[in-house]
Amino acid sequence: MKLAIDRYAYLDSPIHHWQQNYKIVGLIGLIFSFAFINNLILLPIIIIITGIIFFLSRLPFSYLVSRLRYPGWFILAVVFLLPFMVGETVLFQWGELTLKLEGCQTAAVIVVRFFCILTISLVLFGTAPFLSSIKGLRSLGLPQVIVDMTLLAYRYLEEVGDMVNSMEIAIKLRGFDKHRFKYRNLQVLARLIGSLLVRSYERSTRIYQAMILRGYGYKIPGKKRVKKLLINPENYQDLLATVLILSIAISLLGLDLFLTIR
Amino acid sequence: MHIPDGLIPPSVCISGYALTGGMTWYALREIKKDSNPQANIPKASLLTAAFFVSSLIHIPIPPTSIHLILNGMMGAILGYYAFLAIPIGLFFQAVMFNHGGISTLGINTVIMGLPAIAAYHLFRLRDKVPRNRQFWTKVLAFASGAFALLLSATLFAAIAISTISPDLDAAQERNAIYLSLVSYGIQAIIEGAVTVMLIAFLEKVKPELLNI
Repeated sequence: MKLAIDRYAYLDSPIHHWQQNYKIVGLIGLIFSFAFINNLILLPIIIIITGIIFFLSRLPFSYLVSRLRYPGWFILAVVFLLPFMVGETVLFQWGELTLKLEGCQTAAVIVVRFFCILTISLVLFGTAPFLSSIKGLRSLGLPQVIVDMTLLAYRYLEEVGDMVNSMEIAIKLRGFDKHRFKYRNLQVLARLIGSLLVRSYERSTRIYQAMILRGYGYKIPGKKRVKKLLINPENYQDLLATVLILSIAISLLGLDLFLTIR
Repeated sequence: MHIPDGLIPPSVCISGYALTGGMTWYALREIKKDSNPQANIPKASLLTAAFFVSSLIHIPIPPTSIHLILNGMMGAILGYYAFLAIPIGLFFQAVMFNHGGISTLGINTVIMGLPAIAAYHLFRLRDKVPRNRQFWTKVLAFASGAFALLLSATLFAAIAISTISPDLDAAQERNAIYLSLVSYGIQAIIEGAVTVMLIAFLEKVKPELLNI
């Protein structure tokens, strides 16, 4: 199992240079403002904003397409029936099948919001190494236990993935046909998962002992462990970018609210 | 069984984050009651990675295939650590495979995490059984695996279908929820069976893993 998340984390673009903790604040704010959009008139605006941010990130378009494929099919399957089930204004009728305006509008809002949020998420986590994202979340106040668990789980994810791959090859070489559904196969797969859990557990004991030897959990008196989000002249450009993006996010929220109550 | 970005209203996303925040605080408080919570962090982390990878294994159900959710099993083994492990797994899925989403991470954690905690308490009932412990362990393992999945599926279907559009009428919503629960019912039986097999395996090979 290869983790492709850091594949484009080291490109040279304005988004890549944007410090990750500031980027998290700005782009998460934008993601939530996109989630609030309900007016059709704002959909082209959020598509343009998303397009500009994606263009600035210099991530390959093929990367976006490859990441959109699976969740895209899922969302299409979910909204597929909406134009036929929701609303009263008939656009087109073919026998029992009726295409309705309100259903089409709801489906369009969901699909555009989904596409824009997914693209911004991809830019957020695809333009910096995954470890920088975790450090960024830590500086924003994520509890230490969750940070430690995330870092350790991420560190061993690939190894556990390789472990399961070699176990799958081993059972296949012994004649296991995983394409058939029967009780015996389910038992073999359960034992495979069980072995994986046992191996991971045994390894975690050794890892914990190694961590203790390296001073895990020991706090130096008077020294703060976590570097908080600081504002200083070195990162004013990052701060400026965050303020700009948050202003756009707030403006979008205001516009959506204005259009709704008008 | 993950709600993608953009599908549900923002009020539900925010409520999801609020509920997750409250539950995480409670889970952390319960974890701190352990004699040595720090020692369990590497164990819970590696088991999180193992559960994440295990959930990618596909089980063929012709003409399609399913992947295991294992949130009941996570609850049975990890206890309150499961409520920390689940958002981590969901975060990995959202970032690495774009399953679920960042704005819906909170609500997806509630959908997967609350049933895991319920499964943990259900499975722990085996400690109170006076006799025939082996039999009751199997019964409770099946119940926690199947119940956690069914509860997750119910929450998922109810939230996704009832919030997708205000124009959808109640009868249609109810029918859609029932229909989706039929397919998840089959998966719940498989999930329960796998949980029984896994618990039986771990009891033979590494019983201390069931007492983290």
